[in-house]
Amino acid sequence: MPSPLDLADLPFLREALLELVLLAITGGVLGAWIVLRRLAFFSHVAGSATFPGLVAADASGVSPTIAGIAVALGYAGGVGRAGSARDHGEATALLLVAALATGVILASDVFESGAVVDRLLFGTLLGLDTADLVLSAVVAALAAAAALALGRTWSAVGFDPDGAHALGLPAGRADGLLLVLVAVAAVAAIPAVGALLVTAIYVLPAAAARMLTASIRGLVACALGVALAEGVLGLYLAYWLDVPAGPPVAVLGALVCLGVAAVTGGWAAATGRSAA
Amino acid sequence: MSGPAVLVDGLAAGYGAEPVLEHVSFEARAGQSVCVLGPNGGGKTTLFRVLLGELEPTAGRVELSGRPAYMAQTERTRLDFPVTALDVALMGTLAAGHWWLPPRRPERDAAAAALERVGLADVAGVRFGELSGGQRQRALLARALVQDAPVLLLDEPLSGVDPASATLIAGVFEELRSRGHALLVASHDVESARSFDLVLCLNRHQVAFGPPGETLNRAVLQATYGHELIVLDESAGTRAVTVQHHEHGH
Repeated sequence: MPSPLDLADLPFLREALLELVLLAITGGVLGAWIVLRRLAFFSHVAGSATFPGLVAADASGVSPTIAGIAVALGYAGGVGRAGSARDHGEATALLLVAALATGVILASDVFESGAVVDRLLFGTLLGLDTADLVLSAVVAALAAAAALALGRTWSAVGFDPDGAHALGLPAGRADGLLLVLVAVAAVAAIPAVGALLVTAIYVLPAAAARMLTASIRGLVACALGVALAEGVLGLYLAYWLDVPAGPPVAVLGALVCLGVAAVTGGWAAATGRSAA
Repeated sequence: MSGPAVLVDGLAAGYGAEPVLEHVSFEARAGQSVCVLGPNGGGKTTLFRVLLGELEPTAGRVELSGRPAYMAQTERTRLDFPVTALDVALMGTLAAGHWWLPPRRPERDAAAAALERVGLADVAGVRFGELSGGQRQRALLARALVQDAPVLLLDEPLSGVDPASATLIAGVFEELRSRGHALLVASHDVESARSFDLVLCLNRHQVAFGPPGETLNRAVLQATYGHELIVLDESAGTRAVTVQHHEHGH
């Protein structure tokens, strides 16, 4: 059993730890709004939709980050124009399946870079570079700044869209920015946890926190704490078991969610939906 | 006397080629209350959307003395959203335009005062979804009060509320009128319309507009509601109720 101190001592683990801490900050701040605004499926698809673009970029020598952001922004723009990810579930699911299948075909038959698939889908502890850390830091800073400036607007729109519009709020632009932030955050998480598991860091901690708290401020703080704990522990497990970081973080997130749901009586009871 | 708080002249509006509301002309002055009666799909919500600036009229003009405050139906709100009654009232301060700033002391005081006015001071910290139906309506009314708007648009504010809340809300309406606010209240309740200064009857077009004594007669109500109208008593003014499915229409 390796020492937990290796996370701080070994350079590649230190970088991975820093990456997961930055993603956890984004996961705490943005994850709260992803859950409150019911964008979990959107965030999942935003990560997966970039997959074929990342495969093609990897094989062509183009920056995967730039390619991923371009695809994610296109996806966010499309959903924003269509109205809502929730209202277009079938189209979103179609995009998800098509993106994954296209990515696999590109990797296995066109570019013959099958080894890339695992790394893009499930993340890696090795090979995280400065650009990955910078992108994650920028996204964390943007998410925090946006949540501070737009939190009241996101809250008003989420609570009562009609009423928010009547208040003269820039609801459309604020929602559009939220979609863009979530899409870019999904791209930032791909190197560490993979395209398929971005929800592990952005949705699951906030979903667990949602069942434990009754205020937005509490939700953000709790989601941040849970995301940090799951990120650090997941990284340690990945190092110990010699697996990519994404799966242990995802499994931990799922177990925590299920445990909290069992204790609190589930999502409906914890969020008061039964009162509706 | 000052100019109208709300002026609507020859209004037509819709969501496609076909107008869902047309030939609407009325005005309300400061301190006047207008009950907007009509069946589901009759155009009440469309009229409010035009007054709120959400929907461009296809014909006619609309003038208001300032940005109106809007009280939506509680069915339009998310009961699972983690906001308290105070949070909801505080949302009203966003209408001042400083949406990027956290609420300051004066805004918190205004929200607390609005909750006090609607009798919710003691449940300010209770989550909106845990309030009773009448309390939720009052919390939304508090959000509208915080805006201190010259015109208030209220979408069925008495729908499904308990008698105590209805009395309290009616008292707040009276207070707002006395302070010079104009009120437009969408309602299904023909009987409650008698307590308003003016009544506007809509059924995809303007059927009638005027004081309750002139508008609430059998002919107008039948033109407004058709077969949904049940006349109870015509001996002392037309007493009637409407029978309709409660759904969100035009």
